[in-house]
Amino acid sequence: MTLSSAAYGLLGALPATDNPSADFSDTPWWVALIKALVIFVYLLISTLLVIWFERRIIGRMQQRPGPNRNGPFGLLQTLADGAKLMLKEDITPAKADKIIYLLAPLIAGTMAFVSFAIIPFGGEVWMFGHRTPLQLTDVPVAVLLVLAVASVGVYGIILAGWSSGSTYPLLGGLRSTAQVISYEIAMGLSLVAIFLFSGSMSTSQIVAAQSSLWYILPAFFSFAVYVITMVGETNRLPFDLAEGEGELTGGFHTEYSSMRFAMFFLGEYINMFTVAALATTMFLGGWQAPPFIAAINNGMFNHGWWGILWFTIKMWIFIFGFVWLRGSLPRTRYDQFMRFGWKFLIPITLAWVVAVAFIRGAQLGFLGEGTVTVGPLGFNTSTLVIVAVVAVIALAVAWVWDGRREARLAAEQVSPPEEIDPFAGGHPVPPLPGQRLREPSVALTAGGSSGESVVSGGTVTAVKEEDHG
Amino acid sequence: MSAPYVPVLFMLALGFGFAALSVFTSLVVGPKRYNRAKLEAYECGIQPTPQAAGGGRVPIKYYLTAMLFIVFDIESVFLYPFAVAFNKLGLFALVEMVLFILTVFVAYAYVWRRGGLDWD
Amino acid sequence: MTSTAEAVAFWILGPLAVLGALGLIFARKAVHAALGMALTMVTLGVFYLIEKADFLGVIQIFVYTGAVMMIFLFVIMLVGVDSSDSLLETIKGQRWWSFIFVIGLAGLLIFTLGQVTFDAKTVQAGMDRLVANNNATGNVTGIAEKIFGQYVWAFEVTSALLITAALGAMVLAHRERIVPKRTQAEWAARRVKENQDVAGLPAPGVYARHNAVDTPALLPDGRPAAKSVSRVLVARDQVARTDGYRDVERYIEREIEEGRQK
Repeated sequence: MTLSSAAYGLLGALPATDNPSADFSDTPWWVALIKALVIFVYLLISTLLVIWFERRIIGRMQQRPGPNRNGPFGLLQTLADGAKLMLKEDITPAKADKIIYLLAPLIAGTMAFVSFAIIPFGGEVWMFGHRTPLQLTDVPVAVLLVLAVASVGVYGIILAGWSSGSTYPLLGGLRSTAQVISYEIAMGLSLVAIFLFSGSMSTSQIVAAQSSLWYILPAFFSFAVYVITMVGETNRLPFDLAEGEGELTGGFHTEYSSMRFAMFFLGEYINMFTVAALATTMFLGGWQAPPFIAAINNGMFNHGWWGILWFTIKMWIFIFGFVWLRGSLPRTRYDQFMRFGWKFLIPITLAWVVAVAFIRGAQLGFLGEGTVTVGPLGFNTSTLVIVAVVAVIALAVAWVWDGRREARLAAEQVSPPEEIDPFAGGHPVPPLPGQRLREPSVALTAGGSSGESVVSGGTVTAVKEEDHG
Repeated sequence: MSAPYVPVLFMLALGFGFAALSVFTSLVVGPKRYNRAKLEAYECGIQPTPQAAGGGRVPIKYYLTAMLFIVFDIESVFLYPFAVAFNKLGLFALVEMVLFILTVFVAYAYVWRRGGLDWD
Repeated sequence: MTSTAEAVAFWILGPLAVLGALGLIFARKAVHAALGMALTMVTLGVFYLIEKADFLGVIQIFVYTGAVMMIFLFVIMLVGVDSSDSLLETIKGQRWWSFIFVIGLAGLLIFTLGQVTFDAKTVQAGMDRLVANNNATGNVTGIAEKIFGQYVWAFEVTSALLITAALGAMVLAHRERIVPKRTQAEWAARRVKENQDVAGLPAPGVYARHNAVDTPALLPDGRPAAKSVSRVLVARDQVARTDGYRDVERYIEREIEEGRQK
């Protein structure tokens, strides 16, 4: 399938309604319950695996083996950690608000599981004599449901911080909340472009609409924004300011111990899977096989149970990205992080959404119906015009931006004098790269040159630090 | 299955059951050894302050962030149905939406200009 | 008109919503009250979902619990966690006026609710229309057609409301910076220029028993260095002294005794 015909598939695949395309009419309640149980176990096992995976990978990146004692390759390490946490004393600080202190980890642990109810794992299969999709459920507002559940999950963090009755948790909880809500806006806005293309918010419909072209291509910018915000949403490095060890010890969970602490940990890791699964569903075609494999034998690997395999692989690519980021980047500073979110991500994502709306409007023929024929392909004139306008605006903005940045850097640059007198200050000073040494004979022979040397000495100390590097 | 939200309830129940059970089990299984210092708030070894920082109050800065969050949240709430139904709405909705975004953008630009988005 | 499942859901969720509302009014601590409100809002959202208004229900949870409650919590924390309400009237006659307004509001609500026709046939007809619409174009599209059709004016006016909210927050909460903030580089440059603490302030010290920031570092002659302890701790009189550890054995014994009593 060529790209241009895929682009037309994008246009042609408009659904008549925004309702889910997955058919749950032949799914009795007990099958749904079994599916829920399986997803629950899948998530628990994934969490056990991912913690081991993360520690092993980071170990490799830091040239050490990582956990390798419990079980083959250390696979049972997480289980051992969990059992140990279970046997630890559960401490409630004397100043804590007892009820809310208990409620907060329960909220964090519970809400993490809920979002997976709407994630499609595969196509339709036969299960206990019933034809049912490999998805727990789907609703017309599925993606919004995930966002709503996430916003309830934030309560776990802020309540934990507040109820501990201690300074570090309070500050950590606040930071974390401000962080999550700041990046939630950019995340929500980046998804609007997807809805413009798919015409639906139900996950099965979005996956179905990507059968010809994954949205990572037409909505590449949304993808970039989403990937950045999903790291911010899950409080992971380089954005894990809520538990910056150097500043806040443990952040909101400083006072927590035993299983209550484990619940926050569990919540954090399952949230990683949730945002990764949503990214897979929204941008990478969900459970559908990659294009070349999908073409084999008339789509033999592209339906039914195979979906689980492709879905899991795609999701773990994102998980590896998380680990990779943690292995290679230092933590950002809080003000830089907030500035990036509010002053860059939000306005630029809004502009992108407007641009996509115009492109989409042109594609749908709202801005005129004329077409241009190039060879065998026909293009909508207004689409071409709008794409050209958007591209020109983007280029112009980038050009102005770059020019300003260059001017700012040039203004900061104070070029060192070409020649220095190494003995001007009384003791020898080495020259900067590219600087010429003044002939020492001047300083040595002419005794009256002291006034000149004071001036040159002054300019040398004014040289900025950046120029050394 | 006619009620699409019931499976969400299943998931909720499973998650809550697991969380509550494990917290409860650790309460039963774990040891209990009283120690006054252990129950005090953790402040890196110094004597804990009688109350959390600033009497449990937070910098007013966060209020502004929360308010701006609501503004953009509501904006995106309008964007969702617009995006979903765009193919049926037509040019009029596009113009309306651009007007709406521009109006909200005025507030955003004002807050930026006054320095409301700066953190220190 | 109502199915059994619907009735069951109502009788479970209805009391929960009322419970949350009562919690909002009667809870002693402000955060508990806020949680009660959150509970009510989530329950209302679930009610909308049951009544097949998918978008409205999820948005109710998304906006109210997520955003509005967040600001509510922030405001509470602004006021102070444990501050008890002052019963002093700041506006004269406030109590009587609020009493009159509450009566008026209650009257208005009862009057309006009394106008609603609540026979089974009308309700069923409305429900049928909603279901038909959900099947024909989808719930979200249906809402969009209302927003950008019948209620487009209200939609545009909302943007004015949002502007007002943002400006109001700015006026109330923003502190203008008069002098630019010093950066780290500027601080360092100033230290060098004034030739004071060029290498930074001394780090707090480590005594054998007590490894923490409230312990001053020791100068070469054995005196504690005052600059090494944060001035906040000095102001709170929390700087560690060694006298506390003289009777350390007695201290430990007392603690063991306390543990036995528990």
